[in-house]
Amino acid sequence: MVRLILPNANEGSHLPLRGLAEAGILVALATVLSFVKLYSFPQGGSVTAGSMVPILFIGLRWGPVLGLLGGAVYGVVQLVMEPYVYHPVQVLLDYPLAFGLLGLAGLFRARPALAVTAGIGGRFLCHWLSGVIFFAAYAGARHPAVYSAIYNGSYLVPELAVSVVVVSVLARMVSLDGARHA
Amino acid sequence: MLRDITIGQYLAGDSVLHRLDPRTKILSTLVFMIVLFLVPSLAGYLILAALAVFLVMLARVPLRMVLRGLKPLAFILVLTFSLQLFMTRGETLFRLGGLVATREGLNMGILMVFRLSLLIVTTSLLTLTTSPIALTDGIEHLLRPFRRLGVPAHELAMMMTIALRFIPTLLEEADKIMKAQMARGADFHSGNLLRRARSLVPLLVPLFVSSFRRADELAMAMEARCYRGGEGRTRMKELRMGLRDAVALAATSALVLGVICLRRWP
Repeated sequence: MVRLILPNANEGSHLPLRGLAEAGILVALATVLSFVKLYSFPQGGSVTAGSMVPILFIGLRWGPVLGLLGGAVYGVVQLVMEPYVYHPVQVLLDYPLAFGLLGLAGLFRARPALAVTAGIGGRFLCHWLSGVIFFAAYAGARHPAVYSAIYNGSYLVPELAVSVVVVSVLARMVSLDGARHA
Repeated sequence: MLRDITIGQYLAGDSVLHRLDPRTKILSTLVFMIVLFLVPSLAGYLILAALAVFLVMLARVPLRMVLRGLKPLAFILVLTFSLQLFMTRGETLFRLGGLVATREGLNMGILMVFRLSLLIVTTSLLTLTTSPIALTDGIEHLLRPFRRLGVPAHELAMMMTIALRFIPTLLEEADKIMKAQMARGADFHSGNLLRRARSLVPLLVPLFVSSFRRADELAMAMEARCYRGGEGRTRMKELRMGLRDAVALAATSALVLGVICLRRWP
């Protein structure tokens, strides 16, 4: 399965150096933006200053593979900064995988709004799944699936709105083809 | 306002734990996490808790730094305990309104609280005693065997290193741009969500442009120094396992053996 995504991973570095450098710096930018909170919810979770936008841009400019890898790296950075550890599998699901799926944006490079929705949708799916599996006991009277969707939607939907606005403005100013730009 | 943010929780020091190879620490932490889910009894958790306290003392990290990691999960801890206490069926201990607390529930609640707290304490201990760069190095080495499956271990570590290197730089830049735009009348903190999102544009455009420029310069500088990926690359500081690491890994193995015995012959 992994081999299908990365067909010639053994033959040295097939990822473009320019893309690698850019992904690293965009992960740093995402981390910086995650400190700028637009809105904090009382029950935890917050809307950041479009902190997912740099990661979405890795996917948009360099395609889904680098987007996925960059997102996973961002997930690990988030884990090191604010670990929220409940179970080893939950950690995998909530950090590298959830943020990695932001790279799905790279599948729809021609349509930025759809790309943003796909990327953040992927992240939502991971957090939702983690909520259903590991935090079901906290759902109270509600069904765990509903509870998890409400909780994760409460910050990801506003975050999605912010990201769509910001990406559609930025997409007019920044080339969406990383390789051509270089 | 953005300047006084620290990245990660690393506390510099030169204790035995600080000097362990990052690979040893990551592996042992992972094993410890799995062991936490296998321990069958309260006695087992008490032994593990004693072990964790011993490790914290060995690391010479202030205990309150370690316990600080528990704060974000305090709510979950309390909730977990009460859920287990009242939801488990068994011998009645006391009644609170319509809720029945049971002996079995009390046992389960205490076990769960121990498991969660120890999980957090051990992961904090890893990040408190290992610098983010050492962690990255360790992760790169541990991912190497998976390269055959297509996991680009070196590239992932390179991205992580670049990101860690540029976080402080971009933090300062973001701070400067925010102040400059606020001096020109930009307002980041009022209006509804869409207004706030749009107010971000004057912050994000310069930040993105300068990030792309930095990436360009960085890639060129790397190329000029003949960077060609991880193959055959040498390092100034090689990771080396020593006697210390052998002892730590042996202790971790003993822990696994111990928990297996405890499950076989309780």
